[in-house]
Amino acid sequence: MIEQIKCAAVLGGSGTVGSLSGGLIAQNGIRVYFLSRTAERAERGLERAIAQARSEVIARNIVCGDYEHLLEGALKEADWIVEAVAEDVAIKRQVYDKIESHMKAGAIVSSTTSSLPLDKLAEGRSENFRRNFLSTHFYNPPGRMLACEVTGQSDTDPDVVGFMRDFLRNTLAREVIPVRNVAGFAGNRIAFLLLARITALAEEYGVEMMDYLVGPYTGRLLPPLATLDLVGLDIHKAIIQNLCEHTNDRMHDWLVLPDYINKMIDNNLLGNKTRAGFYKKLESGRFVFVDPATCDYTPAIEPHIAFVEKAKHFIRMGMYKEAFDTIRAADGKEADIVTDILCAYVAYAYLLIGQVTESRFGIDGIDRVMSFGFNWASPSVILEMLGGRENVSQLLAKKGLTVPDTLQAERKSAMEILEAGKYFVAK
Amino acid sequence: MEDKKVYILGGYQTDFARNWARENKHIAAMMREAYQGSVEITKIEPGDIDAAFVGNFAGELYCMQGHLSAFFVDFDPRFVGVPTIRFENACASSAVAALSAMAYIQAGIYDLVCLIGVEQMKTVDAARGGDYLGTAAWYEQECTGIEFPFPKLFGKLGDEYDKRYGLDNNYLARIAEINYANAKNNPNAQTRNWFMNLEHANTCGKYNTTLSGRIKVTDCSQITDGAICLYLASERYAAKYADHRGLDIRDIPRMLGWGHTTAHIEFARKVADSAGDDYVLPVTRKAITDAYKRAGIKDCWDLDVIETHDCFTISEYMAVDHFGLTKPGDSWKAIEEGVIGMGGKLPINPSGGLIGCGHPVGATGARQLLDAYKQVTGTAGTYQVAGAKKVAMLNIGGIATTNVCFVVGTKN
Repeated sequence: MIEQIKCAAVLGGSGTVGSLSGGLIAQNGIRVYFLSRTAERAERGLERAIAQARSEVIARNIVCGDYEHLLEGALKEADWIVEAVAEDVAIKRQVYDKIESHMKAGAIVSSTTSSLPLDKLAEGRSENFRRNFLSTHFYNPPGRMLACEVTGQSDTDPDVVGFMRDFLRNTLAREVIPVRNVAGFAGNRIAFLLLARITALAEEYGVEMMDYLVGPYTGRLLPPLATLDLVGLDIHKAIIQNLCEHTNDRMHDWLVLPDYINKMIDNNLLGNKTRAGFYKKLESGRFVFVDPATCDYTPAIEPHIAFVEKAKHFIRMGMYKEAFDTIRAADGKEADIVTDILCAYVAYAYLLIGQVTESRFGIDGIDRVMSFGFNWASPSVILEMLGGRENVSQLLAKKGLTVPDTLQAERKSAMEILEAGKYFVAK
Repeated sequence: MEDKKVYILGGYQTDFARNWARENKHIAAMMREAYQGSVEITKIEPGDIDAAFVGNFAGELYCMQGHLSAFFVDFDPRFVGVPTIRFENACASSAVAALSAMAYIQAGIYDLVCLIGVEQMKTVDAARGGDYLGTAAWYEQECTGIEFPFPKLFGKLGDEYDKRYGLDNNYLARIAEINYANAKNNPNAQTRNWFMNLEHANTCGKYNTTLSGRIKVTDCSQITDGAICLYLASERYAAKYADHRGLDIRDIPRMLGWGHTTAHIEFARKVADSAGDDYVLPVTRKAITDAYKRAGIKDCWDLDVIETHDCFTISEYMAVDHFGLTKPGDSWKAIEEGVIGMGGKLPINPSGGLIGCGHPVGATGARQLLDAYKQVTGTAGTYQVAGAKKVAMLNIGGIATTNVCFVVGTKN
């Protein structure tokens, strides 16, 4: 095993994840190869890395080039090889063939995937490769989202996993979340189940209404469907399909992909990258919203529901407990939707303790990935805001949701709840 | 200071990396969070608070909201009727609030004053915010029609140093580098996750533009949203506080000394007045030496830490010789010899200072006081200077127009 990372190579250095995680490495004075299909594409990655650092001086640590000319030399020199190519097993296997041919003994190889099975990716590889192969799942964009999930596969040397956790924490200033080697790890597993549920509810209640009801005031920087526009609906579909195929738990039937999402993808309404998704911005600056029934866009209805507006006012004045007391006291189907989603978030997160993270860490890793990976108030904070374990247990039972035994995990302190104030946005 | 002691009982700082406008929060929300955090930390009973003093520079401009101290009454039902005052002295607003709190306590009027420093600045774009800051100078005379007037005015301070003693800009870049490096250890610092190194601080380009002469973006403190809440107490209240917590009152930090001076608001006149003086800003120097005298300390080498007002790198360069780390004009020597870095003989700004930690204008003095408290009580965590017992802080308003210096310590 290597003792120090003095040089890294990023394969897929033109993509967002590759270039920005590579940029973080370069910011710490480490020489980094940005490798792509063409040198021009790698240079585009360099521009992204510079913009993230807001400094041109990091360029002196970055060497750009294409696979044909630079790959072999880079792999021979690199102490850490970051694979950030397309989320496709066949493509990754081809890349690993090349890595295996030229990597030096003991070099660490990590994939940025959170969805493809690591054991399958490592299948048939040499012992040197398998012992040193793991996942370092950065959240996007890594300059602002600090979470990084880390796990090995069956044959990964535990010392390699430990070394990388320390390096990511101490050198790259990541919030490292040790996760189990399961599909979606912790963050995507939890977030995308809830997002899938919200896409299903949007069929009945509308896109604008769903983002209004479970919007930022409920503990997230972005409304959920706007988040999916940022992610891209094609990526969302791939994540949901992967989770459907490789996970199974009590809430599995929430993992749905409504037909209208497929229609949107067919119509190239992928989200921000195609300038049209759940939202579309008109030249006037106004937003219109997709109608799930037709996939056409409809004007804003600008919902105004009394308990939501009251809760938002409390959030605006920093009165978070009062905001959630308002939500809890509200009646009607809209209030039920809000508490359904919040309760499900808490229940699902606690249910997965021991499945996506080790039991001994309690809710800690899950809390951190939701906050530092998604900018959502953590499940344990929402648990307290909803009145604590007993109240939430009663709410879950009333809603027909199972109360996980792990809900009895340690409670958040008043200070921890106060410091989650940044995730409650008065919008 | 010995017969009428004023104690600091700790407090809370909001995360200076937050953008409260993006959270669509009212400035009172920031004050409320700071207050609630301070109660969690100190466990002070709200009913014990005699008065609340709020330091704020320009709530009317940035937030269309004045009379900020009145919001304190909303934070607890027991606060109805509690007297509150808002103080404004530009960037020294909360240090001046602290001075006033001391005076009330020493006069025997109040035993426990809740001190809040607050500023919300990210409500407007950089150009407009820079214009608002110009009101801390003589706006009509020095700022009208000038984009980003403050970097230009502090640039003139650098020019004056250059004229009198010579000034190598590389030392200004070193000051930026040190403050950013310190900020990485401070979990509440605005720039804790930002990239910085000496080469970047020395580079002019797209991401480090020149604002005026020698002043580049990396020489400037940040536009910051933030609030601090802490408590100043009489000996009578501090004794009760210590008793209830099983503490020795001698371990509770107090204001050992203070200095407060005001110079001409117009920068050119300040400089003209100092012609022939050893110091470029003798009025600032006087605030520091007054604090030394009142604290009964001989010179800066009786201190363990300094938290100074590095609104620009040149302000810290000025502070180095004005605090007496070097003879006038030789500040570069303290930088060159590693005196001011963490691990140096007299670390400056372990918090990251205004450049690294952030500069919510009206809150900065309170932030410096709280950091002084943390250093003296060994509670500064990852940016603790081991064994610190005496800390000085300098908070200036305008172009070193209002100068407030405190020496905080336990005097054990």
